[in-house]
Amino acid sequence: MSRRQLFLRLLVKAAWVRKDRALTALIAVAVVATIATAAITVYSDLDNKLSREFRSFGANVVVSKPAGALTRDELARMDSTLAAKHLIAPVAYAIATGPNGGRVVLGGTDIKAFRELNSSWSVRDAGHAGSQVLLGSRTADSFARHGEAFTVSYNARQTTLQPEIVFASGADDDSRIYLDLKQFTELTGIEPSTALVRVEGRPQEIEAAINALRSSLPGFEVRPIRQITQTQTAVVDKTRAVVLAASTVIVTLILLCMMVTFTSSVLERRKDFAVMKALGASNKTVNLLFAAEAALLALAGAAAGFVVGSGIAFWIGKANFDAAILPQAGLLLPVLLGSAILALLASTAPLRILQRIQPAGILRGE
Amino acid sequence: MFFRLLFESFRRQKRRKSVAFLAIALGMSIATAMIAVAAGIGDKISQELRSTGANLVITPIEDTLDVNLGGVDLKPASEGAYIAESDLPKLKGIFWGHNIVGFAPFLGEQKTFTKNGKNFQAELIGTYFDQTVRYGKETVTTGVRSVNRWWQVEGDWPQDYEDWPNHAQAAGERRCDADVPRELPCRLEFSLRSSDAAPGVLAGRGLAASAGLHIGDLVTVADRQLRISGILNSGGGEDQAIVAPLHIVQQLLRRPNAVRRVIVSALTKPEDAFGRRDPSKMTPAQRDRWYCSPYANSIAFQISEALPNVRVEQVRQVEQNQGKVLSRVSGLMLLLTLAALLASVLAVSAAMAATILERRQEVGLMKSLGASNISVASLFLTEAGLLALAGGVTGFFAGAALARTIGSNIFGSSIEVHPVVLALILFAALTITFAGSAGAVRKAMQFDPAVVLRGDA
Repeated sequence: MSRRQLFLRLLVKAAWVRKDRALTALIAVAVVATIATAAITVYSDLDNKLSREFRSFGANVVVSKPAGALTRDELARMDSTLAAKHLIAPVAYAIATGPNGGRVVLGGTDIKAFRELNSSWSVRDAGHAGSQVLLGSRTADSFARHGEAFTVSYNARQTTLQPEIVFASGADDDSRIYLDLKQFTELTGIEPSTALVRVEGRPQEIEAAINALRSSLPGFEVRPIRQITQTQTAVVDKTRAVVLAASTVIVTLILLCMMVTFTSSVLERRKDFAVMKALGASNKTVNLLFAAEAALLALAGAAAGFVVGSGIAFWIGKANFDAAILPQAGLLLPVLLGSAILALLASTAPLRILQRIQPAGILRGE
Repeated sequence: MFFRLLFESFRRQKRRKSVAFLAIALGMSIATAMIAVAAGIGDKISQELRSTGANLVITPIEDTLDVNLGGVDLKPASEGAYIAESDLPKLKGIFWGHNIVGFAPFLGEQKTFTKNGKNFQAELIGTYFDQTVRYGKETVTTGVRSVNRWWQVEGDWPQDYEDWPNHAQAAGERRCDADVPRELPCRLEFSLRSSDAAPGVLAGRGLAASAGLHIGDLVTVADRQLRISGILNSGGGEDQAIVAPLHIVQQLLRRPNAVRRVIVSALTKPEDAFGRRDPSKMTPAQRDRWYCSPYANSIAFQISEALPNVRVEQVRQVEQNQGKVLSRVSGLMLLLTLAALLASVLAVSAAMAATILERRQEVGLMKSLGASNISVASLFLTEAGLLALAGGVTGFFAGAALARTIGSNIFGSSIEVHPVVLALILFAALTITFAGSAGAVRKAMQFDPAVVLRGDA
């Protein structure tokens, strides 16, 4: 049997004969790798996933033209400037007279985009499907309790509105009526000079989109709706910080736990160590043997941990955000290397203590 | 004999015992810290979400619609109904009064202002900035500074004026204009302190730019001078308005005690299926449960009970979405906690199994000296139990300290651990160490003592 064969045989047999010992070490490494992989994967995609939740807050940027109406061309330019997923709803307002002679605010907008922006509204059907007239709940209370058609007038012109839906928002919109922009302009002659924009993405992406809009539409006022953008930044940042802190704590502690287990299992094998030394093995060979064993176990454990950890991250994404958090292939190498290095550290540190002791002493049971 | 074995085992195998102890303590501190963080994060993130603005709005019940464009109230002050300002402290007296973290009343009208002989039109808005409000023995400060936290002011925030109706006393001249609605008290004009000859107000950023207003400028409205103490950047309609202390505006508009709208920031429970049900169709027991849960709807209902003739609505954009974000963040922490607990269970079990597996010679020796399986197992499990208790207590305090550090570093307020978690952690520590040891002890006992003692196994 050559030296190399003997070495390999010792390596495999050590794990094979004491399967339970190898298994506990393997589990310890796998747990660390699992939790580290899961935490890092979740953390790296967290701002993306959390930012998605802020979509439903509606518009986060308002673009207004200082004088005159927004042209089709300018709206198209806004559309092409925004790289991220976005939604643009031009809006115009006028004060009209309702059927009871009272004043009411009329809004003209792109109804489809506007409804998407205000997805949190509670909506009930008013019976005139497809008419694209949205009636605020307070307006409905005073003009059309049961969703019946009614007339509004602006200056000398009049039009009959057939409400499609009645909505409750809890905001000023409840006292308004929204029409399709075309119908609104026909009645009032007013063209929109303001557009509500929702830019999706992470806080820094929204910031970049605002800057892009500013430079592509010189002279326009582009302002973020700060209560939404600021809150998004604060919530995303703080949640990320908590996840990071918690993950660091977990990974460090689990790591310590693993190293303690590893070290102690090496120390328990001082007899093996002494026998080998007594049979004439050099310090170097013994070190190499123990290190190789630790590295092999660590690599196997880390590979298993990476798979399980990616699975956990995927599941957390599915379960909590309804969107999977995909495994990060780039993480595999650092996890494998990190686990191997730490296992080497944990298993070779006690060897140095053992080397100071005479093999004979250990064999005698001292 | 049993106790002696137990004691000696701890005395002689200090290294082995400390490994097991360390593993348990580390695992349990992870569990404690994660449970505390997961339990506390809801409140903390909820506080952050407060800055999306008030989630309830109170308006008077009236026939006329609001005529409000770009945040500017175009309805004349003489039209429509009001809420009595003196009723507002009752907000703190409702069942969920402690969940009302702030409120701010508003009263506004278009006015003509004069600066250096030049006139400009703008809305004059009155509100609380940081007003002290008394309810019974309780004193709270509230206003836009805490409710609309995104408002940025360059310069100084204006001073609020004294409470209604205390500030009325020092005055001499009595005024009661014909157009003061009957339901409002005709009250005494209060005289301003000499230092406040011109009350401080905020000028909206847009208005300041278009009308050329600067910090320190004096503007005149309805024969009263106001001093611009700061420039307001709100990102909303207030950027085109003059925002002044409510009591000044009430006086200028001759609407004592009147407010048009109150925004309320309340801590609410995200709406679930039960919270969305119509309370008028519930059984009395369900209705009690609904009333005693801090849903936005039940708080709104309680406010409308406390204040006469008002309509209270949830600002759906804020309320619905806050709940959604909050549940996502808490859900995430819950899942991470589960993963961490699972990991610490595995790590602790592996460590326990490792230390016991190495002691099969001891088992072999005890068994060859005539010990029964039961007495061997009970010795090992008692050891494990003692270690679990010690490790659990240490881990609990270490974990609590970690949670506190995370809380104060990230949120500026510490996360406290509920004492009941200690019981939970000790129970978990015992269960985990027993589970980890039991398998290993059983395995160690399966071997033939003779083989083990020879060292062949």
